[in-house]
Formats: sequence, C-alpha cells, structure tokens
Amino acid sequence: MKPAPFDYHRPDSLDEAAALLAELGDGAKVLAGGQSLIPMLALRLACFDHLVDISRIDALRGVERRDGTLWVGATTTESAIGADPAVAAAVPLLARATPLIGHAQIRNRGTFGGSVAHADPAAEYPAVVLALDAELAACSAAGGQRVIPAAQFFTGLWSTALEPEELLVGARFPVWSGRCGFAIEEFARRSGDFAIAGAAVAVELDDGEDRVRRCAIALLGMGPTPVRAAGAEAAVTGRPLAELEPADVGATAVAGLADVPSDLHGPQSYRRRVGAVMTARAFAAATAEAAARPASAGAGNEAATSG
Amino acid sequence: MTETEPAPSAAAASPASAPTGARYAGRRVRRLEDARLLTGRGMFVDDVRRPGMLHACFVRSPFARARINSIDVCAALASPGVRAVFTAADLNPDVRESWYTQDGPKVPDSPRPPLADGEARFAGDPVAMVVATDRYLAEDAAELVEVDYEPLDAVVDFREALASPVQVHASRPGNIAGRLTGTPPDAVEAACAGAAHVAEETFRQQMHTPSPMETRGIVAEWDGRELTIWSSTQNPHEVRAFTARLLGIPPERVRVIMRDTGGAFGLKVVPGREEQCVLLAARKVAGPLKWIEDRRENLLCHQARHESGRARIAFAADGTILAASIDHLQDMGAYPTPWQVGPGAAVGMLFPGPYRVPVATWTSTSVHSNTAGRVPYRGPWQFESLAREVLLDIAARDLGIDPVELRRRNLLSRDDLPWTNPNGMPYDHASPRETFEAALAALGYDAFRAEQRAARAHGRYLGVGTSSYLEPTTSGQPYYGSEEATVRVDPSGRVTVFFTGGSSGNSLETTVAQLAADALGIEFDLVEPVQGDTAVTPAGAGTGGSRSGSMTAGAVGEAARALLARLTALAAHRFGVGEDEIEVADGRAVVRGRPGVGATFGELAAYAAAAPPGLPEHLAGVLEASGRHTTPAPMLWANATHVCVVEVDVATGAVTILRHIVGEDVGPMINPDVVEGQIAGGTVQGIGGALLERQAYDADGNPLVTTLLDYLIPTAAEVPLIEYVHLETPAPGPGGYKGVGEGGAIGAPPAVVNAVVDALSPFGVKITELPVTPAAIVELLAAAGYQGGHH
Ligand SMILES: Cc1cc2nc3c(=O)[nH]c(=O)nc-3n(C[C@H](O)[C@H](O)[C@H](O)COP(=O)(O)OP(=O)(O)OC[C@H]3O[C@@H](n4cnc5c(N)ncnc54)[C@H](O)[C@@H]3O)c2cc1C
Repeated sequence: MKPAPFDYHRPDSLDEAAALLAELGDGAKVLAGGQSLIPMLALRLACFDHLVDISRIDALRGVERRDGTLWVGATTTESAIGADPAVAAAVPLLARATPLIGHAQIRNRGTFGGSVAHADPAAEYPAVVLALDAELAACSAAGGQRVIPAAQFFTGLWSTALEPEELLVGARFPVWSGRCGFAIEEFARRSGDFAIAGAAVAVELDDGEDRVRRCAIALLGMGPTPVRAAGAEAAVTGRPLAELEPADVGATAVAGLADVPSDLHGPQSYRRRVGAVMTARAFAAATAEAAARPASAGAGNEAATSG
Repeated sequence: MTETEPAPSAAAASPASAPTGARYAGRRVRRLEDARLLTGRGMFVDDVRRPGMLHACFVRSPFARARINSIDVCAALASPGVRAVFTAADLNPDVRESWYTQDGPKVPDSPRPPLADGEARFAGDPVAMVVATDRYLAEDAAELVEVDYEPLDAVVDFREALASPVQVHASRPGNIAGRLTGTPPDAVEAACAGAAHVAEETFRQQMHTPSPMETRGIVAEWDGRELTIWSSTQNPHEVRAFTARLLGIPPERVRVIMRDTGGAFGLKVVPGREEQCVLLAARKVAGPLKWIEDRRENLLCHQARHESGRARIAFAADGTILAASIDHLQDMGAYPTPWQVGPGAAVGMLFPGPYRVPVATWTSTSVHSNTAGRVPYRGPWQFESLAREVLLDIAARDLGIDPVELRRRNLLSRDDLPWTNPNGMPYDHASPRETFEAALAALGYDAFRAEQRAARAHGRYLGVGTSSYLEPTTSGQPYYGSEEATVRVDPSGRVTVFFTGGSSGNSLETTVAQLAADALGIEFDLVEPVQGDTAVTPAGAGTGGSRSGSMTAGAVGEAARALLARLTALAAHRFGVGEDEIEVADGRAVVRGRPGVGATFGELAAYAAAAPPGLPEHLAGVLEASGRHTTPAPMLWANATHVCVVEVDVATGAVTILRHIVGEDVGPMINPDVVEGQIAGGTVQGIGGALLERQAYDADGNPLVTTLLDYLIPTAAEVPLIEYVHLETPAPGPGGYKGVGEGGAIGAPPAVVNAVVDALSPFGVKITELPVTPAAIVELLAAAGYQGGHH
C-alpha cells in the first residue's frame, strides 16, 4: 500500500497551477486534501506522474458572501465549512451536511472542492451542490474561467464536467430566503461511513396556507451520480403541506431511478427502500422547520436561522 | 507516589478479589503500559530501524486457483533499489522443519509452503518476494514480476468443498483437512425420538478477518552466526523455537525481541507463511530484512469464524433439556495456520454449554477451500455458543416458554459442580446460574419487558437477548500447562521480574508488577517487569488460550517463594541467626524480636554480590531465583452471561445497541480494569461479528473486501458503554484466578442476535445467519410479511 513514484508540485498561485496542469497534461492530477486521492494512490488503483498540490493557493480558500450568494473556495476544508457561522446562516444545508462526512480527522484535511471534484455518488457535498443548483467555477490556462451549472457537473461515476487540465475554483450557492427549511438525512452502516443512501431537502413554504412554494431534493448513494428527485419535487410544489405525506414523497423520489447500486452492504431493493425512508424523513424535517417560521419572514431565512 | 486509585465500584473492591495480605492484586492499579502507549512512545515492530535495513514485499496471486507456469523476475531485479527476488524454488527447499510446538511434529497438518509452488491456492497466495532498499521500491518492483498463471476452477464456498471435483491440496482428498466426532449418536437419537419437542436449525457464520490495529510484521537480522528477530507476536519463544527448527540452527542462536504488540487475537500465536519467507531469506540478503503486513494483506490473507452447523436440542414438555448435538463444518481456507482441525472439537464438546444436558454428541469437519487460511481468533470455538444460545431462544418461542425461564430450568448452579458434561468436559468452580441471575438483575428483566411493551405501543421495537457460556481457560495440556519466571533483586533494592510475556494488549507488565509486589511484600513501584526478549526471559507459551493471568501468577508466585527463601538464608547468615529467626516483610528481612536488626532487600543483594568470606557458594552472587508453575487442573472454567438490549428501526433495519451487560465469573480479579478491558474488547469484537464484520468472495474467489471501508469494525459510536457484573468463584490455581481474554468475543454475538429477534418478535422472524445486517433484517421482515409502513 505504497504509491507508485510521482513528482510533487506545489504552485503558489492559481495561474501557476493552471499552467502546470496545462503543461503536464494527462499525467498530472490535482491534490487537495488527499483524503480520497492518496488512498487510491496507495492502493495503486490510480497512478499519476505528477501531483499538483493546490492546498497553498490562498485565492482558492475561504467562504464569503458575494452579491446575495455564498461563495465557497475549493480548498476550504470541510471542518472550516462546518464551523463557519456564515455558512450555517446562508446555506444551512451545507453546514448540516458537514458532520456527516467521514470523521473529524478527515474533515480537517478534506476540502470542499476535493469532495465535489471527486464526485462520489454517496458524498454529501455533491448532493447539496446539486439540490441547491450551485454554480461551479472552473479555470484552466487555455480556457480561463467558466461556470458550470450543478445540473451539468456530475457526469458519471466519479466523473465530472471538469477537463483534465481544469481546476475547480469554488462554488456559488444561492441563498434561500423566506419560510425555508433544510434537512439532510442519510443511513450509513457506521458513524462516518459513506452512506448507503440519503437525501438532501430544501423547501420554501408560502406565507399563507403552508403551500410548498419550491422544493429541491437530491438523493445520494442512489445512482452513479447524485440525482435530483425531479418527480417528487414537482409532485409537492404548489401543494399545501397538510395534503402531503412524507412517505409518499419518499416513494415518489425513488420511483423510476435507473441505476441504483447494489453491493455487499445491500441489494438495489434495499437501497431504494432506504432512499425513500431518508427522503421522507428529510422532507418531514425540512417542512417542519419551514412551517415553524413566522409567516411574514420579511427578514429572510438567515435571520430566522441565526435567531 | 502510588499508582493505585480507589476502586470505583463496590463489586470491584470486593475483598474476594484480593488474596489475604494482597495490597495490589484485586485493585484497579493504573497500567504501566499506558504512559508509553498513549503518548506514542510504544515500540512496535515497524518502529524498528536497523542500519542497512531492507524491505520485503510479496507478489500475490490474483486468482483463487491457478497453475503457475513460470515466473520471470528479470525486470523486477533490474528495478531501482531491488536487492533480490525470491520464488518458491529459492526459499522452499531450505525449510528444515515447519511444525508448531503447540501441535507437535506428528499432527496431520495441511501443507504450508512458504511461497506458492506450482499452484496458487487463493487470491492473495504469495508467489514471490521482492527485497529492496525501501518498501516503495519493493512495491514498484513487485508490479514488474511476471507470473504466467493458468487460471483453474476453484472451490470457493467451503460448504461445497466436500462434493467439489476441485481439490485444494492433492494430499487432502475430498478437501477434508480433518474430521472429529464424539460418541455414537444413538443415545441422542433415542432421546430426540422420545422428546416433546426437538429444536433444530442450521446456523451459518460469515468469514471474519482478525484485524489487530498493528498488523503482522517481522524484522530478521542475520550476522553470519546468530539471527535476531523483532516480531509482532503473542508468543516470542515460539517464534524462536519455530525459527530454529525452520532453519536448522540452534535456538540459542536465535533471539526474538518484542516490545509492544498492537493486538493479536490469535492471529499472532505462531509465525505464518510470510514470516517464514522473511526468516528463510534473512540469510540470503545483505542486511536486516523487514516485512510489515499492510492492511490489504491483512484482509486478504486470514480468515476466522467461517463455519456452519446443524444444531439440535431436544426438550421435555416442561422445557427440560434431554439431549443436544451439533454437526459442525468449518472453513480451513487454503493454508490454515497453525493446525486448525483440533479447535473444531471444542465446538462439539462445548455445545451443551452451562446447561444440565444429559446426552450429547457432535461431529466436526474441517474442509479446505480456495480462500484465505484460517487462523485462531479469540474464542475459536465460539460457534458452539452462537448455535446453542440462538437455538434456545428459537426453542423457547416454539415451546411458549420465556427464554429466560427456559434457561433457568436448565442452567447449572455453583452447587451442581463438579459436573462432567456428556461430551466429557469436566465443569468445575463456576457459577452459570448465579451469573445469569446477577446479569439479569443488573438489567431489571421484568421492568425491561414493561418498557418494551410501552415502546411497541409507540412503534418502537426494543428487544433483549441473553447468552450464557462456560469457557475452558488456562489449558493444562503439555506446553501450555507450565510457566516460569525469574525474579532478581539489585543492590538498589529494585526488583526485576523476567517472564515469558507476549503481551498483546493484555497488560502483562502491570499484572506481573502487581503480583510480584504482593508476593514479595514490596512497593509496586519497585518492580520492573521484563517480557518478550528471549535472550533474558524464560521460555513459555505466551499469550493465548486465556492462560497468561493464571499461569503468570503461578510462575511469579513460585519465583517469589524461591527468592524469599534465599533472602531469608542470606539474612540469617548476615546476622548469624537461624533461618527460622528471620522474618520478611515490607522489603526487609529482620531478626524476630529485634526490629532494629535487619536489612533491606537491596542491602542483602549487595551483601550477596560482595560475597563476604564464609558466605555459602549458593547464596553468593546475583540475588535472583526462578520458579516454575505447573497448573494442577486440566483447565480452569470461566463463565459469563451477556445481556444485550437493542432497538431496531424496522424502516431501515438499523440496530442500535442500547445496553450490553456482561455478568462474568473469572474468579478473583488481579486488576478489575484489565479484566474489564479484556471483556470490553472481546465484546466489541463480538458485536462486530454479529452485526458488521464480513469478509466475502465472489463466485470466482475474488475477495470483495480489501479495505477497512468495507470491512466494518465497530467504532466507539456503534457500541454502548459496556456494563460489568463480577462474580468471583475461585479456581483451583494461583490466587483462584481464571482466564478472561476470550470470553467477551464468545458471549456477545448470540446475545445481540437474540435481542434483535426479540425486538422483532411481533413479526416472528428467525435469524440463523450472520452478520445481521440492516439489509438482512429488512429482508427477514419482508419475508415475514412486513413491507414497511409509514414511519
Ligand atoms: C475514511 C474516510 C471516510 C470518508 N467518508 C466520507 C463521507 O462520508 N462523505 C464524503 O463526502 N466524503 C467522505 N470521505 C472523503 C472525503 O470527504 C474527501 O476528503 C473528499 O472526498 C476529497 O477531498 P480532498 O480534499 O481530500 O481531495 P483529494 O483526495 O485531494 O482529491 C480528490 C479528487 O478530486 C480532485 N480534486 C481535488 N480538488 C480539486 C480541484 N480544486 N479541482 C479539480 N480537481 C480537484 C483530485 O484530483 C482527486 O481526483 C471520506 C474519506 C475517508 C478517508
């Protein structure tokens, strides 16, 4: 369990990193927190001639509010995200997803960008990115900066729309305001394990009758990529809460999923069932949170969250 | 400074734990090992760095079974840093003898070649060994070794091995490694025929992998005459004896050193095949040679607990047990290490457990498969408890008797002993019924039943399960039944105790310091325990078979007795009085009635060292003495009852353990913290086995679990605080102590299974297969007609 030889590069700036990736081509791989990449190298499941360590590039790190959105830099560690009150206030789903990622030691090194770029279908951040329609900023020496909508980002098992010489710079999350609620529920064999299945849910209710104004549901562990439960979202939107049974929302969410995985920890049918249960529980929790907010939430979600 | 602290619980402080006059035995003395282990200063085998050290890495078969047509090592040899590449042709012919002391040379052992020769027999079988200047380079070169494999059909599932046309070893027709049987079944058949009810089930247990935190490892350094070995072992003297035989060199020229071993659980009782390779190669390479098993190798190369069995218990209408039998089948894998057939007999012989079973029999068949080799694992016969205790719950439900009540009607009490079970096991000095009641009292069984009913009304499924067993510890068989220690007093007054050791987490240093301080009547802080270096410690069988507490206590006791005699003689000589006028207490020998006239142990050591004229020859020189303890009993019986309380989420199948109580009788405790530590560790392993851990192969024999991402060892989050109830029935040995190393791992699994089944009793499920995964629970519920409502 020792990696094959590689050259190690540690650029200090984004430009330098992008230039290195362009120059080194296919033989190079970005190294962030190393919590996914290093085990793969150690098991010799992957092998690269060059690792480009982006962890010292200041411009890639940090969280900040930008024009009504929340910007999360790629090398911000999972721990930093979990501890940041600005994240908890602006994008509660991201904050609530964080403690479900591995263990504290892993979160101290693992990064937001690494998790999203690695694109494990059972990972929490990709599901949150997808649920909230975040915009992913990428950059390369040749192409400069571009923005990839979350819906187009996750292309397959551990694969994304990023080009090999492209870096993920960060993501811009919309900040939901109004009578909102958020929940992420997942089921893992042990605390800290990748989930067998889970669901991230965001809802907004209207002021008057507790109708669902908008709803976003992303499932994790239920396919080769995180998936949006578009059918379930549509089925609840516009409906008063009182008419909605969380178990039905869960069942609708998993109906028609094509590539539900099957492995040692459970067959497809089991994952499907757990996915439905987790969706139901997350939907119930998110709607309960939203419904508990005062109808005239003029101050927006953030005030409610921090208050 | 004193290292003791007040005992926190009344049970632990109970005077029964402390032999009269004992100041340290029976107390929660803080572990001597902790300071270095908890501050990262332990010395494990991978911490050994020798000048010019080389590193070994194995090329392993990717196929479950394949003919090895040729091996081309040229490219690997040319790779940077590579010093040698060995194949079977290079190493195997050097083997002189490769039997293990515990089994002897005549046991019908299965083949165990160092490297696969001509045929690879499991995915992971070592085919070549690369030696390079570091492990990275060795792994690079290993990828360049070209092996021409011709894949062959494999027998992967041991349950199909008997009927398979594939033969794992040509010398083992029908893939039978061994078959052992009890008495003819006639009496059991007759009892079953006349019984009101016969419970019968086939149980299946999954393949486990013993996963110590520290994997196996060895460093071997040959200086042209002597071989020095650093080994991760629970038995350093066996490493020495085995090596001497393997290489055909005198054991006196083999020195084995162990400091800390980071868990062993049976995996490290003897050197395995990779260690053989390193030992054989050590004389062929120009430098000390290190091999550290990595986690993938650990998961690939060993198996345990993979067995199945048809168990039967016959009852009278009132629940009285009339007969019990088990037909047991166990997986040997390709290369079991050491001989693994024998332990199967224990499954059969112990199947009646702590119950008044009048008639019984058993069979145990050990079969080879093209999978990782079986190794001993904490309570290797544990399947008897699983099969019996789960079957008792099934029977109780069928009989309409509460499972606790059914056990009450059949459990042996302290007063029933001695009692020889129908398979010839001579139970004695134990308290099954008393322990059972004490553990249930700690739970509050009736109160729990009320709580369970209330919870069900709210859609919550709680359950309780028990499991009781009797366990033979401290075997009196040759090799295991005897142990030696040496005690030395220096002029400084400090006392060094040399003992075999093999401590792999079981706190032998602390234990020995407690025992020696008591036996000599000195301060704990004055004792320096030394274990694990064969150059200075007496030979012995190390840690295993829950023997080291009692055996070490005996050895230290005998050595201390001899030393006290010598101290007395020295003092008598020093003060010119008769030996009967000397009294030894508090680290001094004084003349009776003349308290001012005496000498400390240190002064007497200096006196002996100075060897004044007239001091008899046998008293002069180093002040030390050795003693040997030979256990008087064939085995010492420990017993326990585990009581587990769970909640099952019927939507996901998730099991949460709410409480786990272990009532146990391991005799008086030398150190309750150590006893509880052993029980906790074993119990956690048992919980892992019941719910989480599983090694598995696909139909072609490819291992499916190669990292700890998939081999699920319980973490602190998955286990509750374990609760203890101590009973102390002394055994006929030193201090009355019994063994405690393995029981936790034996008792926990059936208690967990029974608790889950109890929680799901409204649905009427039956569990006969481990592990009890959430997916399996959901499947059982579905089979019972429950599809999952709206929760
Ligand atoms: C025991 C364990 C348990 C874990 N459990 C979970 C869990 O429950 N949930 C979960 O989500 N994760 C889990 N993880 C994974 C963890 O979150 C990783 O940290 C994360 O997936 C990768 O982040 P990283 O910074 O470590 O990336 P690295 O390992 O450094 O890189 C991962 C991949 O992303 C690429 N990459 C990284 N950053 C960029 C970038 N800015 N631009 C382009 N490509 C980039 C790398 O090239 C590589 O391919 C676990 C990890 C371990 C070891």
